[in-house]
Amino acid sequence: MTIVLDILSDGFFAAIAAIGFGAISDPPKRSFKFIAILGAIGHACRFCLMNYFQVDITVASFVSALIIGMGSLWLGNRIYCPMTVIYIPALLPMIPGKFAYNTIFSQIMFLQNMHQPDLKAKYMEMFFSNGMVTFTVIFLLAIGATLPMFIFTKKAYSLTRRLFTRINP
Amino acid sequence: MIRNETSLQQAKFVAEYAAHLMGCGIHTSRVIRNTKRIGEALNFDLKISVFQKSIILTILDNESQHTFSEVVEIPNLPISFKHNSELSALSWEAVDNQLNFEQIKEKYYQIISAPRMNALLLLLLVGLANASFCRLFKGDWLSMFIVFLATVAGFFVRTQLQKRKVNHYIIFIVSAFVASFCSSAALFFDTTSGIALATSVLYLIPGVPLINGIIDIVEGHTLTGISRLVNALLLIACLAIGLSFTLILFKGGLI
Repeated sequence: MTIVLDILSDGFFAAIAAIGFGAISDPPKRSFKFIAILGAIGHACRFCLMNYFQVDITVASFVSALIIGMGSLWLGNRIYCPMTVIYIPALLPMIPGKFAYNTIFSQIMFLQNMHQPDLKAKYMEMFFSNGMVTFTVIFLLAIGATLPMFIFTKKAYSLTRRLFTRINP
Repeated sequence: MIRNETSLQQAKFVAEYAAHLMGCGIHTSRVIRNTKRIGEALNFDLKISVFQKSIILTILDNESQHTFSEVVEIPNLPISFKHNSELSALSWEAVDNQLNFEQIKEKYYQIISAPRMNALLLLLLVGLANASFCRLFKGDWLSMFIVFLATVAGFFVRTQLQKRKVNHYIIFIVSAFVASFCSSAALFFDTTSGIALATSVLYLIPGVPLINGIIDIVEGHTLTGISRLVNALLLIACLAIGLSFTLILFKGGLI
């Protein structure tokens, strides 16, 4: 029971985060509910995979991004929004921001401890592991969400087309 | 000759449309597709090369067989997904309904002059978003509240500085410092203060250019993709600098 509650609360807070961070980039009003739904599903999926199935953060992010991408293709068609308008805000809560600035911090600490070999090695290792996680996760998030665009190219490219308003074919 | 005058105007409009799309944070392949579609509606054949600061268009008027060359600078606009979807829809509408130039132009200016979201509501949403982010990192309710206040303060400073057209690197350093400084109040309470400090600046992470950059690289527009990623990286470095001031002041160390 607590597991279900954990997953639900993770999805709930991820939805709020997706809406808020998405709102900075001014999405159309009609897309907000879908951003919330996909953000919740994606983040909750990653949470499950990482905590209960011991999947690492990169693969878990990729799978969640793939789900978000498929969802955005399906829902984008309903509200005439391009896929990126829905999936980028939904991906925002999954961007590893903490790893990103820890990379910079370990760089600073490395330079501060140049004369102590053991600390130097430690911060070098931190720099690479943080940087690697940041880059790989962001890369796989983007690839996972974009993959449906490569598979269903024709549909993905015409999501904003309102055929019913066509006057004379 | 008269046809040439109007063609030139139309060519300039197509260039402006492309520059606007690129400026408000849309991935490159979509900008090219949409612009070509608008060109098709105006009976133009377009060749486009996109760089990080400018776009070069060669426009062939199918009717008069004249070519025009346009170079436009990409303006620095705030990211807008609304413009993305509405302007994409406009390009389809122009082709499907065979809109004329005046109609396209009117709709274009209507779309780009539409107001953005209410500033106060945005402030509230961003604050809530970052507070729930704190929750996702296992912060407790008090930390969430402190992060909410810190984010509101930081985001307010950011919008005010943006209005005054301050250099955006300085904006990032200052607003990261303000947000983390406010959230350092958590150190005085018995709460998850480390998480509060670490998450208070995450609203500044430039997620949209990061993802757009990767999409661009994967689709073969490596130049614009790398430039987006590099810009985002510089902003993250500024964020880290702003946060490091607070950490050195209150915690005496970065990690």
